[in-house]
Formats: sequence, C-alpha cells, structure tokens
Amino acid sequence: MKGLFSTKALLILLLLAFSCVVVWMLLPEDEIDYNTQVKPIINQNCIACHGGVKQSGGFSLLFEEEAKGNTKSDKPAIIPGHPEESEMIHRLVSHDPEERMPYEKPPLSQEDIDVLKKWIAQGAKWGTHWAYKSVEKVDVGDQFSDDNIFTKWKNNDIDYFIYKKLKEQELDVSPVAQTPDLTRRISLDLIGLPPPSSIFEKTVKNPSNDGLDVYIDELMASPHFGEKWAGMWMDLARYSDTKGYERDAPRTIWKYRDWLIKAFNEDKPYDVFLTEQIAGDMLPNPTDDQLIATAFHRNTMTNDEGGTNNEEFRVAAVIDRVNTTWEVTMGTTFACVQCHSHPYDPFKHDDYYRFMDFFNNSRDEDTFDDYPVLREFKPQDSTRLVELKNWLHKNADQEQADEVIKFVKTMQPSINSLTADNFINAELSDTKWLVLRNNSSNRFGQVGLDGKNTLIYKYQSYLPGGVWQVRLDDVNGPLLKEVKLPKTKGWDFAEFSFEKVEGAHDIYFTYRNPNLTNPRSNGLKFDWLYFADEFPGRNSNGYRKAKNDFWELMETRTFQTPIMVENPPEMKRETKVFDRGNWLSKGALVTAGVPEVMNDLPDGAPTNRLGLSKWLVSPQNPLTARTYVNRIWEQLFGFGIVETLEDFGTQGIPPTHQELLDHLAWKFMHDFDWSTKKLLKYIVSSAVYQQSSYSNPKQLQKDPQNKYHARGPRIRLSAEQIRDQSLAVSGLLSEKMYGPSVMPYQPDGIWNSPYSGLKWVKSEGEDQYRRALYTYWKRTGPYPSMTLFDMMPREVCTIRRISTNTPLQALVTLNDSSYVEAALHFAKRMITEGGSQPSEQIAYGYKLMMYKDIPQEKLQVLLGLYDGLTKEELIKNVAYKEESQIDKQLNAMGVVANTMMNLDEFIMKN
Amino acid sequence: MNEGERIKKLEEQTRRLFLKNCTLGLGGLAFSSMLGSCGYSGSGSENMAEMGGNPMAPKAPQYAGKVKQVIYIHMAGAPSQLELFDYKPELHKLDGKTCPQSFLEGKRFAFIRGVPTMLGPQAKFKQYGDSGAIISNYLPHLSTIADELTFLKAVHTDQFNHAPAQLLMQTGGARLGRPCMGSWVTYGLGTENANLPGFVVLTSGGNNPDAGKSVWGSGFLPSVYQGVQCRSDGTPVLFIDNPEHISRESRKASIEALSKVNKLSYDEFKDPEILTRISQYELAFKMQATVPDVMNIADEPEYIHEMYGSDPNKSIFANNVLLARKLVERGVRFVQLYDWGWDTHGTSEKGSVDIGLVNKCRETDKSVTALILDLKQRGLLDETLVVWGGEFGRTPMQEFREGKENIFKGRDHHSEAFTMWMAGGGLKKGFSYGETDEMGYAGINGRVSVHDIQATILHLLGFDHEQFTYKYQGRDFRLTDVHGRIIKEILA
Repeated sequence: MKGLFSTKALLILLLLAFSCVVVWMLLPEDEIDYNTQVKPIINQNCIACHGGVKQSGGFSLLFEEEAKGNTKSDKPAIIPGHPEESEMIHRLVSHDPEERMPYEKPPLSQEDIDVLKKWIAQGAKWGTHWAYKSVEKVDVGDQFSDDNIFTKWKNNDIDYFIYKKLKEQELDVSPVAQTPDLTRRISLDLIGLPPPSSIFEKTVKNPSNDGLDVYIDELMASPHFGEKWAGMWMDLARYSDTKGYERDAPRTIWKYRDWLIKAFNEDKPYDVFLTEQIAGDMLPNPTDDQLIATAFHRNTMTNDEGGTNNEEFRVAAVIDRVNTTWEVTMGTTFACVQCHSHPYDPFKHDDYYRFMDFFNNSRDEDTFDDYPVLREFKPQDSTRLVELKNWLHKNADQEQADEVIKFVKTMQPSINSLTADNFINAELSDTKWLVLRNNSSNRFGQVGLDGKNTLIYKYQSYLPGGVWQVRLDDVNGPLLKEVKLPKTKGWDFAEFSFEKVEGAHDIYFTYRNPNLTNPRSNGLKFDWLYFADEFPGRNSNGYRKAKNDFWELMETRTFQTPIMVENPPEMKRETKVFDRGNWLSKGALVTAGVPEVMNDLPDGAPTNRLGLSKWLVSPQNPLTARTYVNRIWEQLFGFGIVETLEDFGTQGIPPTHQELLDHLAWKFMHDFDWSTKKLLKYIVSSAVYQQSSYSNPKQLQKDPQNKYHARGPRIRLSAEQIRDQSLAVSGLLSEKMYGPSVMPYQPDGIWNSPYSGLKWVKSEGEDQYRRALYTYWKRTGPYPSMTLFDMMPREVCTIRRISTNTPLQALVTLNDSSYVEAALHFAKRMITEGGSQPSEQIAYGYKLMMYKDIPQEKLQVLLGLYDGLTKEELIKNVAYKEESQIDKQLNAMGVVANTMMNLDEFIMKN
Repeated sequence: MNEGERIKKLEEQTRRLFLKNCTLGLGGLAFSSMLGSCGYSGSGSENMAEMGGNPMAPKAPQYAGKVKQVIYIHMAGAPSQLELFDYKPELHKLDGKTCPQSFLEGKRFAFIRGVPTMLGPQAKFKQYGDSGAIISNYLPHLSTIADELTFLKAVHTDQFNHAPAQLLMQTGGARLGRPCMGSWVTYGLGTENANLPGFVVLTSGGNNPDAGKSVWGSGFLPSVYQGVQCRSDGTPVLFIDNPEHISRESRKASIEALSKVNKLSYDEFKDPEILTRISQYELAFKMQATVPDVMNIADEPEYIHEMYGSDPNKSIFANNVLLARKLVERGVRFVQLYDWGWDTHGTSEKGSVDIGLVNKCRETDKSVTALILDLKQRGLLDETLVVWGGEFGRTPMQEFREGKENIFKGRDHHSEAFTMWMAGGGLKKGFSYGETDEMGYAGINGRVSVHDIQATILHLLGFDHEQFTYKYQGRDFRLTDVHGRIIKEILA
C-alpha cells in the first residue's frame, strides 16, 4: 500500500515538475497570433462540433464570449492564462478515448497542442480575422531601392508587393512581354476584343505617341469597354432573359444590361454604381436610369409554376438578394447563416434576418408580370407625361404630384390580387390572379385607408350582370362600394370613389352574377388594386385634361422593366427569424441591422435599403473595396489575390498578397475615388501585369499556377471573348450596341422547357454577329457553345468561373456554325487583302490575329496544310460543289483559317 | 545573361531535347501518346509529369481491383424505397394515423410542416429468387434477377435537398467545387479506349439533375476528367459533326497542323496547358469518328431493342441504358446515367408514389434488368459495377405541405434511410445488407453512409479511399473527405 502510494506521489511530483517545465517552456517570448496560428487549428479540428452549427457540450469556439463562457459542465473550457486548468487542453491530451478530442478522430499533433497551450497561457487573446478589419493604408517599403533588377523592372507600387513575395519564394521576375502579345493582352482585358485598328494604328504603331499609355486610355474610352465589364457584372447580377424555375418564361430586363454598359463606359464610381443598384429607387427624385439600375436585384427568379406559393418564392427572392449582396459585394458566403450561426465566421443567426429586413420591404411578390416595373412611354405619351408633370407642379403639392407620377410610372404602390385570402368560392387562378365566381368572397388583410377616397383597379369581367361589393372588416361589414360590372374585352382599368375612412381595415370582396349558372365558372378577375388619394386640383384650370392624361398614361402600353420599389409605411412587412432557415417557422421579430463584427451604419444613414447602400460603400466597410479590387485582379490575372472570390472568411483561401490587396483597396477608395478605369489603368500599367508569360522549369516547379506572378498571366479567354474575338478578326462583328437580346445560331433541341412556348428563332442580319453579351440567355437552356466554355446558367449569381480545357470546347470552335462561318469569312479576307501568294495570305491572317509576324516554322506547317488540301486527292473529298480554282482556294483557305482560329495562342491570352 | 536570354536558352535546350527524342513527322495522330514517351517531365509541370504525358492513359490501380468500369444509374429526385424495396407491413397498419412525435422532434424536413399522418406502402411486395429478396410489384422485371443484386437497405445521408444531396452522393461534399466520382475514377485509372471520352454522362427524364453540371464536374482535378455529356437525340455530342465543306480528311490534316503549331507555341511558352489542349483536340478528332458510331443504337439487333425496350426513334432512358452497355463494352471507364423525375411529393399525379412512381418504374425497370442480363451474357458483368440509387430516401409519412395533406399520395425527402443496390464483380450476389425499423424511418443495423458507398466503389476498382488523394491548396483531398468505411459485409 505504502509503496503504491509513494509511486503515485512520485508520479504526481514528476507530473508537477514536468508541468512546470512545460509552463516554463511556454513562457511567452513570441506572441501566438490568433488569426494565423490558432484559428486554422480550430477550423480544421474543432469547429465542426464546437462552432456555429453544433455546440457539443455547450462549448463553441466561434465567438470569444462563447469560448470563454460556461459550458454544460458549468465552467469555462478555456481559462485564460492557465492551460493546465483548461478543460480544452485536458481533452486534447487525455488518453481516455471517450474524453479525448477530436472525438473518434486522430489526436492533434503535439505542435498544434503546444500552440494552443501557449495561446491560452498568453491569455487566449481573440483576434478579428483580417478581412473584417477596416482597410488601412499600406506603406511601400524601400528595401529594394538598391536592387537593380527591381528598379529596372518596376513600373509602379504594385510591383513592390509582388517583388517582395517573389523574393520570399526565391523566384525571379520576367521581362516585359513582346509588344504584340502585350497589346493584344491589354485590349482583350480592357474591351474584351482585339484592338480596333483605329486605336492600334494611332497608338502602338505610331512611336511618336506615348505608346502604351495612350493606348490604354484610348481603349478605355472605347464604347466596347463597357460591354466587356458589363459582361463580368452580368454573372454577378445573375442576368437572364428568362424568369427561371420550371416554366422559365421570358423576362424583359435587357435595359439593365444596357445600364451596366453605360455605367462602365462613363466610369460611374463604384460607390455610386452599387448605391444605384441596391437603392436607386430610394434616392431623391430618382431618374429612370437609377430605377433601371435597381433591376440588379430583380434578376432573381420568379416562379410561374401553378400551385406554388407566391409568398414562398417572394421570400426565396429576398433571400437570394441577401446572399447575392454578400457574395458579390463583400466576398462572403452568407447563405449558411440562414439556418444557423455561420459555421466558421463571426456571423450570428439573427444577423441574417436583421440584414434580410433591409430587403424585405420591396413591393415585388412573385407576380407573373414581375411587378413592380418601370413603365417607359412612347414619344407622344412622354409628351403627355411632361404636360401632366407641369400641370401637377402648378396645381398640386409636391407630395401629391410625386405620388401621381410614381403611380403612372410604376403602378405602385398597388395591392397585388394574389395576396388575397379567406376565399369562399373564389381562388387564385393558376395561383397568380384572384378570380371570383357567383356568390363568392375573399379578403385583403389590413389595408391602410387613411386619406384615401379612390380605388383604381385592373380587372377583367367575363360576362355582364356581375355585381361586385367592397366591404370593410367583415364579409357582411359596412359597404364601401357596390359596382355593377360590364363585360370587358380582356384586362381593363376602372375606378370608383368612396367615403373616406380612417385606419387600416380588412377589405372584403363579394361577387354575384345571376348569369353564372356553373358554380365553378369565373366571373371576375383582378390583377391589382390601388387605393389612392383624390386626384389633386379638382377646381383648377385644366383638371379635366390632367385627369385624362393620367388615365391615358395608365392605360397605354408601355415598355416595362422590373425594378425595386419600396413599400410605403402602411404596407411595411415585419421580418422574423426563420427557425433553422424554414420560412414557415418564424421566430423573434427583428429590425434591420448589420452584423456586429462589421462597421456600424454610417451616422445619419436611415435603416433601410438606402442606408444599407451607404454602409456598403462606406470606406469603413472592410469588405467592399477589397472584394472589388480582388475581382478586377482576377479578371486580369486569372485568379484573385484571394483565390476564393466568394469567401474572404476564414474558410476561404488566404490572400497571396494581403498587403497588395489592401494597398489596392485603399487606393481605389481614397486615391481613385472608386474609379474602375483608374484602378484598371493602375494595374495594367504595372510591370507584373506587363511581364512576358513565357515560363521556365524553375517557375513551373515552384509555382505551377503562377500565384506569385514570376511571369505574366497566360489564361484562356472567356466564353464571351472567344466568340467576340472570332467575329472581330473575321470582320463579321456587328458594332451595334444595346437593345433586346439576340439569337445567333444554335443547334436544335437545346430548349426543352416544359410548359413554355418559347422558341429559338435565329436573328436576322447583323444581329447574328453581335457580341456575346447580347445573346439571349435562358436559364434552363443556356447558349451551349458558351456554357461549354464555362459560363454558368445564372440561376443564382456566379461569383467566379472555373476555367476548363475539354475536347467539347475544341468541337465548338472547330464545328459550331458561328465559328465555321467566321473562319470562311476570315479566309476571304486573307485571300482578298493578304496578297497573291497563299504564304502571304496566311502570314497576313496570322498578323490580323496575333499582331505579329508569323514565325517561319508555323507558316510552313500552315502552308503545308494549305498545299495538302489543294492537292487533287484531298480536294475530291471536299464537298465543294464547283471545281473552279477560286472555290478550291477558298475552301482550302477556309480550313486553314478554321485551324488558325483554333490555335492555342488564339484561344489564350498570351 | 539576362532574363530573356536565359529563357531563350532554356527553350532551345528543351526543343533540342524534344527533336532528338521524337520525330515531328506526325503520320497518323499519335501525338498525344507520343508525348508520353518524350520525357515531358522536363517541362517541370507537376501535373503533366504525374500524368506521364497523356492524362487519359490507362493506369493500374493501387491494388488489383475486382471491376474495371462502373455504370452508375442515378435516379434524380430520389425514388421511394418504401414502394420498391423496403417492405414495412407495420407501416401499412398505421396508414392514415398521426405520425408519432418521436419521428418529428428535432427533425427537419424539406416540405413537411406540422404533424403529418403515416402513409402505408402503396405497392405489393413478394420475395424473389433463391435469396428471397423482397421487391415490389412496381419492378416486375428486376424481381426476376433478384439473385444478381446486392441491396443496401439502410443507407443514410445528411442532406435533404436535391442539389446538395446529389453533390454529396457524387462528389463527397454537399457544396460545389469537388470532383465527382467519375472524375476521380478516370483520374485514377485513365481509360481503356483513347478514342472515346473516359467518363460519359447521359441524362433523361427531360431535365438535368437538380445540381446541374456540377455533379459531373472535375472540381479541382484537371478539367480533362470532367464528364462528357452525350445526347441521345440530335447529334450525340454537340458540334461533333464537321461542317459540310470540311471532310474527315481535311479535318485530319487540320488537326495535325494544329498540333504542330501548338507544339511550336509550347516551345515558346512552356505552358503545360498547351499540351492539354493538343491532346483535347486530338481526342475531339477521334471522338468525331467513334462517338457517332458508338452512340448509334439503330444498328443493334431487334432482340436487343426488345430486351431493353429501347427505341432509336425516341429519346428515352432505355436508350441510355443500352448505350451504357455499348460504352463500357468499348472501354469507357465510367458511365453515369441521370434520370430525372423521381421526386414524388404527392403534389401532382406525376409526382405521386401510387401513380407517378409506377410510371417511372415502368419506364426504367425493363432496361435496367436487361442491362444486368446483357452484361452477364457478354461476360462483362464480373468486371463491371452497376450502382443504382437516388440521393436520399422518402419519409414513411404522407407529405403535408403548409399544414395540408397533398392531393396525391406522396412522401417528403428523407435523409435517414433509403435503399440502393449494386450488381457486378466482387460483390455477394443475392445479398441484402442493413435493416430499418418497422416504420422504415431509420436504419437499425447495417447503416451505411454515402461516403461508405464511395469507399466501397473505389475499393472494388482497386483504390484505398484513404490513400487515393489529390493535393490541392496544400491539403490532400479525397472523394470520401475524412469519412468512409468499406462495406466489407457485402464483398464476396
């Protein structure tokens, strides 16, 4: 007994001694950094069970207060300063498999455990992940001022940050690319096309100009610039010409695409660019353009499928807006917070719904016609609108005038009939419109009637003899109005006035019609109702004409684009937390707000979408500028400084050049005043961008993906660039800008949506040859030759495309009719413009493509191909009808051109 | 020597090396295979070196596998196990009764809200074959080959929405961005027929699977390993036909020229991606000949069409099944079939377990059965693995949506238990593993996870799922993530 006791005592002593040694060993000389040393260990090993999703044992490591708070055992698992008393450490080193963490997984390495011990010993200091800290100015060091290689190589401050990392990686810089490669690279990057000859001749070929500098400016001044960058943003905006879901019916929203082109062309500062898209409708006296900008968030899908719940899909659209806003503008995957606190990053479950409240008060409700829309008038109606405005200006107060004009332009704020309920013998037809039958009734819950005395409504009456009653509060409540309805020809508009009542009331409709003998037959259908104030200026001159203008403008056919319109106060929706993300299981009421970890709403910003947009573009917002400069970098270099454009959080890939990212973000906000063009010019002027893309074994060995940029970017062109380039080089490209989307050649059988009469009808004339961004985009049947080059269907936003290299892509550029036609056209150009000899013609074509002379070896191969094709035995197999010399020649050159347009160097940016 | 000169010198050295070892005269299109023997590791590219030049060249697995190829039939939308294989007489008794609270507490369903009622099996069940496997009357054909099949009756997943569950089943992760099983397998094994894609995807049912093309994407693996979608009507692969005025011969000449010029570009840039592009163009050229041929089922004998229920004039699932057999016969490594339309919530007749599901079974039962028999008679069944299943199961409860019973008989998504089956080499035939409780709600023994299934498939092909990894972002990734157990109980 005694012996055993002493052995035990000895053991304890030994352990104590050992602990002392350990503690001594852990005495802090260098501080453990939470973000770089501790968080990765936690994310890798602990957070799955002790984080935002699960808090096993009542312990979570996600937030400081949780980690240091009491666990299920009523004491904290981390006791700052005392690793030896901290249950967390005990559990990591325990030998009891029931105790030892990570549970049923291999233990942590001794190294990791030591880091955690040391961290706790040092006080378990929490840290904010770098991406959630405001952007600070980064100084450019001077440690390379005596480095000749650097000073000769560098063009601007970007190069300092690049060079610094290259040195760390023991990599060398590359010399500047050959001029032809560089000019082509810059042009494809800035305008998405090879350089227009006018710009090329004037700048690159004319040495008296300040070469590249002017060239860059000229390209950015070209209207094609906006087309290229609009294309980028369309992925983010999930732009589509259809509504999505099962029926995927058409939607007219191309004016938003055109808005994007113009915004980029006029270099709309990014803060304004975002503000107008998020809250353009809430700006004072918004212009039509600012309203069109809000179509950004009307690219959400609308579900026309019968039997679907409109509220469910309204909520789905709102959720999509929240997720898209975070992913696109702040590089944060927020969607997971919908169901629970973020598994890895400091966003709480409630944060999601507080944020959602910003978006939960727009008028759209999954209606068939995508209400609300901006109505744009034909010329004669526009004149009428101006007259009405002028009259109102003189004869009504500002508020009344604004309300009338707002209604004429947006038909808002009206009540969509699909929000009706309490149906008796009434229902939603195809779940889209309220229909009433003989002896039927329905309700509209809580309609604010203060100050209203007119109801304007869009309806259809199927047969004469109908009597429609509007009652308050109950199906037998006080009668507001009884209306005898004639038969209408399709949809019609009408109004009635009523005695004013105060407050909000349930509105009941009843309908009876003795002519309706079949109880299942519809008698009356509504689209929307608008409770209005009295039309102003009853006793003023011109009242009758003004009222008439109002009606004419309401009834006339207009061009409509879905936009955002905010609910007036009396229609405001409440936002509640969805328990585990389930929209039917509602929890606590929340009000609009931003996550704690982020910057506060700026002073004076209203807590609505407009305030949100101010918060988003505040220089204090740590993510907005970083996300955008990172995206621009990705467009030019093929991958971002943070490769995961969609995730700047702790689960994303850490930045390769964090200082550079912050340098760019700071400069973008403070020096460039959010100018995309200035940012682009800064980057394309850097030495790192202008480097040769030739690689060597050392680079490939050390940095196969070129993350550190020891060479220039060499990446595959995007789907859009590939199409546009082939059209441009062949001479087929249409310069036409803007307008409805077009349908270039597409194989049969691509569009197979059920319940959709939509057909691909090949566009005529130059519309066959428009730039890729004008191609009609159908979510369930996207244009195949572009999806094969990695475009996504855009059901939701595409944050980045993953570039692939497949045989099916080869088949597109070899055989797709668009490319075949371009090649034949190109061959004609080579023959007619290139000189008399095939070798001259091929050399000419190559120069058109690559802006440089064809190397002899390549010319020989292509000439060999041409000669082989024109030989008798081969030509026999060529299905060309006439055997005349020119056809043989054209045919052979057509094959050569097709070959050339498939060259790797042509498909790539070199 | 400055940087430019240095690069130039390197270029010359590499080119000389190339010219010395290989001849540039490309008689026939042997370029990509030639790359394999030309010491291309000198290019310094990890990937190309690792692939030995041709990324699709056949490779040996880690150990001798039982099978060489896979046909994976994924019924997108998730068929109801309770109407097909998992017979629950007790559930029958509870039909129409309120669902016990224990099934609902702390659980979340895709659509069910409130307290639903139980829904008894809609099909009739019998035992078949020597094995006595229980199969429903929805599958009269399959029941005749019960003794060829290996059932997993207690599969579970942790996803209950289609897209993430399909991703989990096919890529081992519920979010976008990971390589799918077919990509892993072709990455590991290459393919036997260089003239066909190694990994073919065929879809039917009118729609792509919910998760879209990502379920056959290559994720972080090189893009050559992504699935190639073939169409069963129109041109079998989009843009496979040469334009009218370009003959096969002139196409051949043009591809040869293209490869040569691209090779010259490679000498300049040393970008390994150029080599990939060369091989992709050559594969495209080969596919132009082989794909239309293999995809043409019109020449199959009448008895085969009879057997499968296939019809060259239509675009139907049965055609894809027949194609799957043709493709594996020609050495395609992985054939993935997706048939859409198995989502039987009871919101419509088509989507009901008593009508829609019967029709889906009718459309597929004969051909799937024929596939097993046909593979067998051709001696291919022992070297092929056929997998059948959905992305999750369906609830023993009748679906309630928004508190109301759906109009038709239907079941909600269910992650706790469902049935899959496999057939082919290395398996215990006529065997059933796993069991669910008497309601069919959850597995009570022999539970297997999605990752277990993946581990087992890899094992049958000769890979240890824990060792079969790809380094990406500094981490070794594998199909089974950090999970998976080989289901040894079903192995022969």
